[in-house]
Amino acid sequence: MEMQKNTQEEIVIRHLGVTFKDNAGNDVSAVENVSLNINKGEFISLLGPSGCGKTTLLRCVADLQEPTDGEVRIEGMTPKEVRLQHKFGFVFQQPVLFDWRTVRKNVELPLEMMYQSKKQRYEQADKMLEMVGLKDFANHYPRQLSGGMQQRVNIARALGIRPDILLMDEPFSALDEFTKEKLHLDLLRIWRETNKTVLFVTHNIQEAVFLSDRVCVLSPHPGRLSAIIDIDLERPRTLQMKETAHFNELVSEVRNSFEGGSV
Amino acid sequence: MADSVVYQKKIKRKKSLYSRIKESRKCQNILTVVLPILFGLLIFVLWQTKVLHAMMHTDTFTLPVPTRIAKLFGENMSDVLANMRSTVLVAFIGLIAGSIIGYLVAVIASIFPNMGKGGLNIIGAFASIPVIALAPVMNNWTRNISPDANTRSTVAKILVVMLIAAADMCLNAYRGLTELKPYSEDLMKTYAASGFTIFVKLRLPNSVPYIFTALKVSVPASIMTAIVSEYFAEYIIGVGREIRENIVLSQYSIAWVYISAACIIGIVSYIILMIIQSVALKRYH
Repeated sequence: MEMQKNTQEEIVIRHLGVTFKDNAGNDVSAVENVSLNINKGEFISLLGPSGCGKTTLLRCVADLQEPTDGEVRIEGMTPKEVRLQHKFGFVFQQPVLFDWRTVRKNVELPLEMMYQSKKQRYEQADKMLEMVGLKDFANHYPRQLSGGMQQRVNIARALGIRPDILLMDEPFSALDEFTKEKLHLDLLRIWRETNKTVLFVTHNIQEAVFLSDRVCVLSPHPGRLSAIIDIDLERPRTLQMKETAHFNELVSEVRNSFEGGSV
Repeated sequence: MADSVVYQKKIKRKKSLYSRIKESRKCQNILTVVLPILFGLLIFVLWQTKVLHAMMHTDTFTLPVPTRIAKLFGENMSDVLANMRSTVLVAFIGLIAGSIIGYLVAVIASIFPNMGKGGLNIIGAFASIPVIALAPVMNNWTRNISPDANTRSTVAKILVVMLIAAADMCLNAYRGLTELKPYSEDLMKTYAASGFTIFVKLRLPNSVPYIFTALKVSVPASIMTAIVSEYFAEYIIGVGREIRENIVLSQYSIAWVYISAACIIGIVSYIILMIIQSVALKRYH
């Protein structure tokens, strides 16, 4: 309910389309005519099966991919302008930690590129690692950590630059159920504390419903937005909510909103 | 009751003894040192007692016993050292210069990937030219660069080593500079990193293990190349040349002194490389 305080539109996606050329030289449409407005501080999930263009959509917002149609505007600016201002925190499917840097140095990496002083970087890395509960592992190398811990470092690094917008591309898909649930709660706590706008890509319906304010359902071939479903579960969310009838109703609603019925 | 507990414990110990030795890191570390030494000792004993000669149907004239080689080594120490110095100098300068050039070419190739890939095929072709073919060509090319025969020959030999080392370094370094973890380039892009920053913070450190992959091949290769190219050099100096000259003169025992000198150069340089690697790659493993 606290979301109603700020309904200012932050990300505006208008008639976005992305077309690739496949190996035979034919045009393949990955995303077609997607329009979406995302409010400041909102937690939005992009949900769909593989091949529905949800990652492509996210990459367009982050300026890692050039749209062939339509446009993305973030507070009136182009994604490139926003990217150059270090306003995106991008969490990839894989941790993408640099093996030759300690956990602390990995978190400091983007801060180095923002020309922060050594002391600033050190303190910020400390703060971030404390937030994800890895302060004791600051001087470890990534290979010494488990997959879940590595992904937490990844999140700490993305949050370290204090981005306005957190873009997450299936960040938990490679993790086991227990780690995933823990990280869900961690993510929601961090989101609540920092009040960022989160764009979260996933192919897991429960995950999308549990985390989001709104779930954007994308259908494949070509990728298009087929439904937007409001998730009116109370905040803060707890794991017990997953047992409630209302949660299951929402999950069914999302599932049935895929074009061509359930997937 | 108590007896059976003891009995069970005993069985457990016995069962795990073999696997404990197998799994114990300490034991393995000791074995990696002890086994080769034992093997070396075995060969030494067979050689010294002339069992080896009987096995290989040879005599002590063509294959002198180790103690005689060692004695001759000591007697000719100053000559041997002078020749070793020449060979090591050629191999070392060629290796360093070649590796640096190879790395720089790899950097250029990684900046222009479209041309770079094709260029690397050419370098790969260069790497497969045999030393025996290269050495006389280089001798010919360097014919006029200096009035001093030793200088001329040294430059020719260094050039051959350089080419071998450069090709090896270039191919490996290019892989290190371009085979990045998936998404790592995208990650740097989200930080608005310039191409130069991506190079310094990502490509360069990523290529360090590949540099050592290249050196592990090119250190022994450059010594071998130095030795072989000495055969064709104008000026008579170097471990390889001495092996050849002495065999031609049927002075097999002196030839064996230089063969052991070549072995020493190879082994020592490899040990030095391993030590440098263990320090440089500490954070990578």
